[in-house]
Amino acid sequence: MNTFDDDLLQAMADLYAALDPAPADLADGVLARLAVQDLEAEFELFTLVQPVDTLAGTRHGDEPETSATVALEFAGSAYRVLVRISDTDDGRRLDGWVVPALPMRALLGPQGDALAHTRQSAYADREGRFEFPAAVTGEVRLWLLPQRGRGDGDTVPAFVTPPFLV
Amino acid sequence: MATHGAPGGPTSSALYDAATDAFRRWRTGDEPALDDLVRMMSPVLWHVVRATGLDREAAEDVVQNTWLTLVRSADSVRDAQAITRWLCTAARREAWRVSKVSTRSRPVEDEVLDARMPVQSSPESEVVTSDEQAHLWRALSRLPERCQKLLRIVAWEPRPDYSSVADSLGMPIGSIGPTRRRCLDKLRLELGGLA
Repeated sequence: MNTFDDDLLQAMADLYAALDPAPADLADGVLARLAVQDLEAEFELFTLVQPVDTLAGTRHGDEPETSATVALEFAGSAYRVLVRISDTDDGRRLDGWVVPALPMRALLGPQGDALAHTRQSAYADREGRFEFPAAVTGEVRLWLLPQRGRGDGDTVPAFVTPPFLV
Repeated sequence: MATHGAPGGPTSSALYDAATDAFRRWRTGDEPALDDLVRMMSPVLWHVVRATGLDREAAEDVVQNTWLTLVRSADSVRDAQAITRWLCTAARREAWRVSKVSTRSRPVEDEVLDARMPVQSSPESEVVTSDEQAHLWRALSRLPERCQKLLRIVAWEPRPDYSSVADSLGMPIGSIGPTRRRCLDKLRLELGGLA
């Protein structure tokens, strides 16, 4: 073992990096939270247009249905988003459509900074479709962040939905 | 090997230069440069925060809050070259604030770390890559708790802001330098004695 201070300190840094590594998704969690925080002041609140009736019926109260599907439509000044929540074997799935289709990053998760690291992220495709195959459950909000520098994203506001139940 | 952010702590001049460069780019309007800065410095901040004794969950929150603080008050970083120090100091201050109001703070987690040492062959044992590291760990664990914490801090940040270190360790600011010296000497002694 080298006895120079710097080498010793470097060896300690390496040791701690091996014994107590930072979580692999540490930086991703930071970036997801910054992405939301960055625009928080500029978010426009979507309004719930309507819960959309589906064949399987809607979930409400304490009447869980095994194959329940629920659809919600939200509208803002620049675009609308339709959200469909369905049951899967492992939990819940959320599909979304942005109309008109725009390059968009979608974040799904609970409200509040403290839980920001649990938010999930997805990107809308060219048809404006995005999906969370294993969506976080509970009371969540959906943030839609137009991607800057792509298409008309520069002029489109970011939106956040009111809380809803997954 | 788990090398999340182990390019060597802020000692590494390459990391220091890259962070300064990314910060400058971000401040002149290059938004993605912030992502670069976050990816290179978050693992360092992790160790700075963990050195204060916060548990992993609380440490993750503190790292996130540190970045929020930077984004909200980037103007207060007057010298781009001071960005690594600014971040480490902000992280340590936030960790100290959290530990004062939280019962999640624990002074040391030797038990947790010990459990990952290579007593026998197991997946966990792979985290310690050499006899030299095991030797160093045993020597460290014989030092007083205060030494362990202070050395962990300076391993990741050789020239920390002493006032925030003094607060987080509950030591007078004037004793940090001499204590650091004594702790390094003790560690060398242990390393020699264990050889």
